[in-house]
Amino acid sequence: MPSISFEKVNKKFGDVSVVEDFSLHVEDGELLVLVGGSGSGKSTILRMVAGLESVTSGTIRIDDRDITHLAPRDRDVAMVFQDYALYPHLTVRDNLSLGLRLRRMPTAEINRRVAWAADMLRIESLLERKPKQLSGGQRQRVAMGRAMVREPLVFLFDEPLSNLDASLRARMRIEIGGLQRRLNTTTVYVTHDQVEAMTLGDRIVVLANGRIQQIGHPIELYRNPINRFVAGFIGTPPMNFVEGNLHRENDRVFFVSEGLRVQLPAERLPGSVPSKAMTLGIRPEDVTLADGKPTSGGAGAARLSGRVLLVERLGGTSHIHFDVGPHRLMAAVSGEDPPAVGDTVGIEVPSERVHLFAADGNALARAE
Amino acid sequence: MMQRPRPERSSMRAEQRSAWSLTAPYAAFLLAFAAYPVFFALALVFMHWDLVTPPSFAGGDNVRLLVTDARFGRAVLNTFVFLAIHLPLQIVTALGLALALNRRLAFRAFWRATFFLPVVISGAVVAILWNALYATDVGLINNLLAKLGGSPIPWLTDPSIAMPAIAVMVTWKNVGFYVIIYLAGLQYIPQSCREAIELDGATAWQRFRHLTLPMLLPQTILVVTLSTINGFQLFIEPYVMTGGGPLRRTYSVVLYMYTNAFSYQKMGYAATIGVALALIIGAVVAAQRRVIGTAEAA
Ligand SMILES: Nc1ncnc2c1ncn2[C@@H]1O[C@H](COP(=O)(O)OP(=O)(O)OP(=O)(O)O)[C@@H](O)[C@H]1O
Ligand SMILES: [Mg+2]
Repeated sequence: MPSISFEKVNKKFGDVSVVEDFSLHVEDGELLVLVGGSGSGKSTILRMVAGLESVTSGTIRIDDRDITHLAPRDRDVAMVFQDYALYPHLTVRDNLSLGLRLRRMPTAEINRRVAWAADMLRIESLLERKPKQLSGGQRQRVAMGRAMVREPLVFLFDEPLSNLDASLRARMRIEIGGLQRRLNTTTVYVTHDQVEAMTLGDRIVVLANGRIQQIGHPIELYRNPINRFVAGFIGTPPMNFVEGNLHRENDRVFFVSEGLRVQLPAERLPGSVPSKAMTLGIRPEDVTLADGKPTSGGAGAARLSGRVLLVERLGGTSHIHFDVGPHRLMAAVSGEDPPAVGDTVGIEVPSERVHLFAADGNALARAE
Repeated sequence: MMQRPRPERSSMRAEQRSAWSLTAPYAAFLLAFAAYPVFFALALVFMHWDLVTPPSFAGGDNVRLLVTDARFGRAVLNTFVFLAIHLPLQIVTALGLALALNRRLAFRAFWRATFFLPVVISGAVVAILWNALYATDVGLINNLLAKLGGSPIPWLTDPSIAMPAIAVMVTWKNVGFYVIIYLAGLQYIPQSCREAIELDGATAWQRFRHLTLPMLLPQTILVVTLSTINGFQLFIEPYVMTGGGPLRRTYSVVLYMYTNAFSYQKMGYAATIGVALALIIGAVVAAQRRVIGTAEAA
């Protein structure tokens, strides 16, 4: 029953701190996704689990075993590398079996495992080929097979799909997810692609500058981002942000910015707010076009007027960019008849979908 | 469809013209200094020529002499003895040094330059230097041995030690060159492969055996081929250090060829030895490739 726990793990390269106070418990059988921008420390964390990078301070355990200072070969973890790291001089079969042969496993068992992995990944016909005779997707499968045959305690994936084209990436993403669920092996999966994170992760850890921003189930991060960074990172297309101020009029609260005024449900706001200056966030898929219909006024939805700048038609949905005063907003709308560039349209922002962030970037706690 | 009739052809012709004009100087050089001597040597095989009187036709005399010449046989055998020691020693030392110099090491550039230095020093100078090192009573090596309590070894005067001693010296002289080749090869082993095999459970020895060594196979083939060709042309060291002795045990094929040409003025026979040597080198290198090739496939 392998779980992984990080206790106050820190990593410095020289004087530069790249991972700070990283504490996390990965459950047995969980697929945990580490996501964050370039240089946020994702690979470093993964490589510390593998033993390829030393830990400056803190403890990493697999189950109850402290592995912080063990050699990589003694940790019983398998890693899938971004460039696959297949052994160029060995056939696919030997790539799969080398790790088992090095550990002096009986030949019959090696053959059984290789056959099992090859069958599962549908690479039986490739077993006698060398890596350079394989396509990107096939290499990807072999790299996964090499991790699978080891039957390790833990799988580590470092951006395994980033070298594949978009359609193959989507296919392999589904395969990896399915495979992980069948094998039920505890997995840490690093990516900078938030779609991968959302679709694959049992839980997601969002990192920025070596620090955990938020940990949670994908939908939780989508619904209740804890700060502006997470809000901007999770979800495609990214959330719209507008800088402005809070205004109280009698018992009503408004978010006000040039060309824009949104009444907020007062019950959603805490009694005292940390600052008057606020950032309002609204997801493009929550913004709707008003179609000239009368709106339910009051606190239900704010009605704005915007001028269409650009329409990106994706087929079923369209991304419509418009100017609202000095602000630029985007709406993701379905239907095949979007407005034309230059049109002035009515836009609705449902107030219960609005996110508010204080000047320090933290989300206002919402009383739900 | 756009029609693009002739430009391709004419541009190809222009390309060919410039290719020819660019290679012409080198081709002329090659013809004058390589092709001409080769054909001349081939012709000399069937001639008697003492450099003074005009050459005369010899028919199969030279070839017949060669196959029965025990001294030639001895020289070939000597050269094989040399290679049997030199080749493995060269591979092991070059690979070992390359692995050491590939690590993070203080003064790495200095060490690399140091090991390369003998490569660019003239072979005759190195031979004279090692003569001093190998000298039986006043040599540095025997001096050191004496300090360690050993008895002096007659490095260049004992018939069974002289050729191994020369092989060690040639290995020392050339090691820097082959280190460079191995160092270049080491750059091609991806860091992630080293990490993958470590996670796969390999010990340091297994990493070397299952990743580094097989990945360096192309470099090893190159080192074997070059040092074989180079070894068959062994000349300056026995010429300077031993004169082919003791008991002709360091007489190399090229030294024998040289002696025939310039001591005995038998240019025809010397050319015959040269052509035979070229054939032997070709056969040995081809055999090596076949052996290493099957090793690779396994
Ligand atoms: N060996 C090293 N020496 C010094 N600094 C390093 C080293 N490896 C990584 N870093 C630094 O540590 C930080 C985190 O790097 P890391 O590779 O973990 O980022 P990442 O989140 O995986 O980014 P990416 O998405 O680009 O792969 C970066 O600022 C990087 O420059
Ligand atoms: Mg990375």
